[in-house]
Amino acid sequence: MTSSVATQDVLPAGEPATPGLPAGKTRSMFARGLEVFLENRLAIAGLAILVLIFGFCFIGPHVYHTDQVHVNLANENLAPGTGHPLGTDVNGYDVLGRLMVGGQISLEVGLAAAVLATFLGTVWGAVAGYFGGVVDAVMMRLVDALLSIPTLFLALVVVSMFPPTETEIILVIALTSWLTTSRLIRGEALSLRVRDYVQAMRVMGGSSARAVFRHIAPNAVGTIIVNATFQVADAILLVVALSYLGLGIRPPQTDWGGMLNSGLNSIYDGYWWQIFPAGVAIILVVIAINFIGDALRDSFEVRLQRR
Amino acid sequence: MHSQQWRRLLRPSYKMAAACCAVLALALAACSSSGGSTPSATGSSSASSKVVGGTATWALPPNSAPNYIFPFASSTYFSTVNFAEFQYLMYRPLYWFGNGASPTLNSSLSLADPPVYNGKQVTITLKGWKWSNGETVNADDLEFWIHMMQAVAPGDWGDYVPGLFPSNISNVKVTGPLTLTMTMDKAYNPTWFTDNELSQLTPMPMAWDKTAAGASNCTNVVADCAKVYAYLDGQSKSLSTWASSPIWSVVDGPWKLTSFNADGNSTFVPNPSYSGPVKPTLAKFEELPFTTESAEYNVLQAGAAGAGQKIDVGYIPTTDVPAKPANATVGPNPVNGYTLAPLIEWAINYFPINYQSTTGNAPVNKQLYFRQALQYLMNQKAIINGPLRGYGAYTVGPVGTYPATSYLSAQGKLGDPFPYNVAKAKQLLASNGWNVVPNGITTCAKPGTGPGECGAGIAQGHQLVYNLPYATGTNWIEQEMVQLQSNASLVGIKLNLEPKPFNQVTAIGGPNCVVAKTSCDWDFANWGGGWSFVPDYYPTGETLFLSGSGANSGGYTNAENDSLINQTLTSASPSALSNWQNYLATQVPVIWQPNGAYQMVEVSNSLGGVLPQSTTANINPEDWYFTK
Amino acid sequence: MIGFLIRRLLQAVVVLLLVTMITFILLRAIPGNVAVAVLGPASYRNPAVLAAFNREYGFDKPWFDQYLLWLGHLLQGNLGFSWTLDQSVSSLLGSHLPKTVWLVGVSVVLALVIAVPIGVWQAVRRNGPVDYVFTSLSFLFYAAPTFFVGTVLILVFSVKLHIFGPEGPQGGMVNDITDWKDLTLPVVTLALVTIALFSRYTRSSVMDNLAEDYVRTARAKGASGRRVLWRHVLRNSLIPIATLLGLSLPGIMAGALITESVFNYPGMGYLFFQAAQKQDYPTELGFIIVVAIATVLGSLLADIAYAVLDPRVRYTRL
Repeated sequence: MTSSVATQDVLPAGEPATPGLPAGKTRSMFARGLEVFLENRLAIAGLAILVLIFGFCFIGPHVYHTDQVHVNLANENLAPGTGHPLGTDVNGYDVLGRLMVGGQISLEVGLAAAVLATFLGTVWGAVAGYFGGVVDAVMMRLVDALLSIPTLFLALVVVSMFPPTETEIILVIALTSWLTTSRLIRGEALSLRVRDYVQAMRVMGGSSARAVFRHIAPNAVGTIIVNATFQVADAILLVVALSYLGLGIRPPQTDWGGMLNSGLNSIYDGYWWQIFPAGVAIILVVIAINFIGDALRDSFEVRLQRR
Repeated sequence: MHSQQWRRLLRPSYKMAAACCAVLALALAACSSSGGSTPSATGSSSASSKVVGGTATWALPPNSAPNYIFPFASSTYFSTVNFAEFQYLMYRPLYWFGNGASPTLNSSLSLADPPVYNGKQVTITLKGWKWSNGETVNADDLEFWIHMMQAVAPGDWGDYVPGLFPSNISNVKVTGPLTLTMTMDKAYNPTWFTDNELSQLTPMPMAWDKTAAGASNCTNVVADCAKVYAYLDGQSKSLSTWASSPIWSVVDGPWKLTSFNADGNSTFVPNPSYSGPVKPTLAKFEELPFTTESAEYNVLQAGAAGAGQKIDVGYIPTTDVPAKPANATVGPNPVNGYTLAPLIEWAINYFPINYQSTTGNAPVNKQLYFRQALQYLMNQKAIINGPLRGYGAYTVGPVGTYPATSYLSAQGKLGDPFPYNVAKAKQLLASNGWNVVPNGITTCAKPGTGPGECGAGIAQGHQLVYNLPYATGTNWIEQEMVQLQSNASLVGIKLNLEPKPFNQVTAIGGPNCVVAKTSCDWDFANWGGGWSFVPDYYPTGETLFLSGSGANSGGYTNAENDSLINQTLTSASPSALSNWQNYLATQVPVIWQPNGAYQMVEVSNSLGGVLPQSTTANINPEDWYFTK
Repeated sequence: MIGFLIRRLLQAVVVLLLVTMITFILLRAIPGNVAVAVLGPASYRNPAVLAAFNREYGFDKPWFDQYLLWLGHLLQGNLGFSWTLDQSVSSLLGSHLPKTVWLVGVSVVLALVIAVPIGVWQAVRRNGPVDYVFTSLSFLFYAAPTFFVGTVLILVFSVKLHIFGPEGPQGGMVNDITDWKDLTLPVVTLALVTIALFSRYTRSSVMDNLAEDYVRTARAKGASGRRVLWRHVLRNSLIPIATLLGLSLPGIMAGALITESVFNYPGMGYLFFQAAQKQDYPTELGFIIVVAIATVLGSLLADIAYAVLDPRVRYTRL
């Protein structure tokens, strides 16, 4: 029969899938979530795209060898053709090979920074919102203070103190991104802590930690997931912005943002192969992650699952 | 299948189709924008009639706007955009340097006749031009400036060098309404004294000799000058009052400021009392500020096509210029209706090596063969032909190669003394006790001070690993650094590039770390700009290469070099300059790099008189005129 | 409520002090000699000049003393004098702030007006073609970097088609407000990203709330779909939007550096960029104060909005 995902259309209100007695033993939340996830074709497409891109970036260089360290001026700015499927860039590096190697860094930075930022922000925000009172005040004022410090400033300070390696960039991005997550989750937590099920749990003697981790966080999951997917996009885009400002990864390494940025310098020359592969790669990854995020959100939504 | 399921199967296509369409649209947009306009020939404006009047607009360099109007500027405000591109329009320096493209003394535009030297005495005779308030530009005005220098130059004059002007003169006397004499502390080379010392003088009107309380007497009494300086500095710091100020409206140059806004938009109108040989034909001259090169280029193109603000004299980013054919002076120009006029400054470009480094590499830096090896790895030809599109000059030593001057020695005219040669670099290292590992790390195999050994203070196994901070924001510098890194790796020298903002790089590598007491923890630092010979137009090395000089970034010290420099300061013979530059070129005190074009200027074909441009970065809009 | 506001204002002061102290520490942590960076190349020749600079601005003292020096001036209303731009910090802020507030403010309002209805529509018609089109457009605009979007828009709509101006409005504030031809492209560049963000959160939040029990209850009691939607769901769904608006207030003050650079519109973002590159501490600190005030204000306004939108939210002993 049709799953509730397909027919979930609120006006008129969707009926729960099957009224009546549940058949057989209840399945775990994971299994239920997985089922909902797998029914979303877009999520499968997104997953496929991501798997392909990861393979392209991490396995690709072992199959398709290019020299990304030595400059080869005889080969600069070649259009796509034999030997160079996507042409070469201004230093003679093969663009396809560079896309793979650059992708490794973009993906690593994006995912690592987003995971770190989301985790930090969720815990901080949930604790602040749940406890309220003085705890909330102190924690959120600290967030306010840190939010006022511009990312650019932080990046400049870090770059001046340490050479710009991948790890530093991940830290800079994570340390500025967790703040918005915490604000969002705290807003949700404030609203959720007075919901009936939380109050019921407290009445039954549940602890605050249980409240935060078993009830507040999972029920704010929709917001957490959407925010996390935007965090990955943000992290990748922030590295692009940092490259534009001259604070990105140092040569001869690069990431998609660096490729896009230096490619844009040639926009009037018509070297489209230096611009669009990186741009399309960024967009594809962000779209794929969003598809997955959407589906994850749906699969966590308890009311959409069949028991 | 159930109808719901049909819809589900079709759904992905909407999303993907929409996404794909958007990407395609962007792709088409960008593609169609490039290569659209046909390159125009480098046509000059045909001999059509001169139109009197009109407003010409000039684009300021990106991310710079004039912010100081008082010609007596301190270090912070001592910049090309302030004096050459703003103050000089209104307040003429005593001596003007710039004869067409040549950076030599231009008598006709100077306020005085060429100085007369008699042993240690120098006499300056002014021409008696007029200020806009009726005063004459006379010897008192000059004495006013010199007294101010004597009072406050050490702290407040941006071009002050300890031991040089005004510390090297005495007995300043006004001997007639238009004549002034002074006595130098030794019989200097007249060319040097005129080009590097007297070039710092700008006469000031009596109307400026005041404080808030009223008229003062800095002109005659040095002790009064500090207060007058403070007053004028305060007036200069109040940007919104410039256009209407009774002080700044007293001008002796061809232009007068009528409006100024803090972003940098300035409007000038001709000064009717200007006494110089060429009076303005234009009715108005405007300077427009821009955040980045690309932002200016967008406006230039839109204006060239007839939409929006027209920029009469602007510039095109080097990356957007097609490569110049080998034998042409100027290559194709993508902007219709404009002439491409690359402006290369009278300068040299290099990045310093720190001989006082505390990173552990100092002993290696002191070895001549190492520096020469690294210089062989710098491929100036490839950089000029590649990232610079053919618009750059070689740096062959401490004297610039462009424009052609008599200062450049015969040896210098032969070109790059260290053309790109990996084999020679390898040989230099290998024959001096290094174990060269291409694509690895070269280490010292034979320590010691004998022939064929690494040199004093270098331990066995010392690795050639260096950090190289460089300034971001200039494309060709970044590409040059990537190339140098790649070339160096071929002989096992590992260069770790560190892109940083310009100011951080100059802060690291600009000052002599011992003299200025800054950190010595650096080996190289490339801010990409080298040194331009403005306003010290005569390229002697006392500021950059003399031992102990504050601007001698790396602390280079060489007794023979010092003695040769001192000879250039006191001997009028051209061989002094030749001998010195020939010696220093091969000593590689700093790593020479190409002198890239300061700006790829685009001049509208309806505006004449702009070319040839001055290599001192001065602009002379009084020469410009629209043509019909 | 009054007590709540007073407590929050006191906290705001604490936040401002905290921000400025952290900034001072970070500024002092930057290696390299500030005097050299600020005074420029000509100053190296003259160590006396560097020493004078250090003395005047307190670099020869420990950071806390320097901080107190600056704080003292601030409390007298003196934000200091820019080291490199030759103007007082307050006049710099005074000339750049209105430009930025106008540009970013217009784009946020535009985004709000467009995004919320789209988000609601998407949630209601979930998984329909409209939803997919807007979702993919949202992803696309969110993913495309600002400088890329800005540059392409200029190329297409200005250089090629001559519809809009190639740079942001120039000249004074009056021109900035009235010159819609030049204002359009920068506003659109900024708004595209914001619309994507706001509509995604609205969609997600509305969907969450539509599935709530109270909606079912209301409908069971006979309320019409539209009444349910507008009275109950929308109010609760706007909580994340309130957060985002609160978070966008600092952005409205701080400007969008990249858009300002691309469109030659020197606002707060560009000012800060210039100051940060040249290590112009007074200007950087002035900028950060403005942003801190905006952040605190935004946070407070968002919190008030939560209480207004969702009556179940109560602020106890804050």
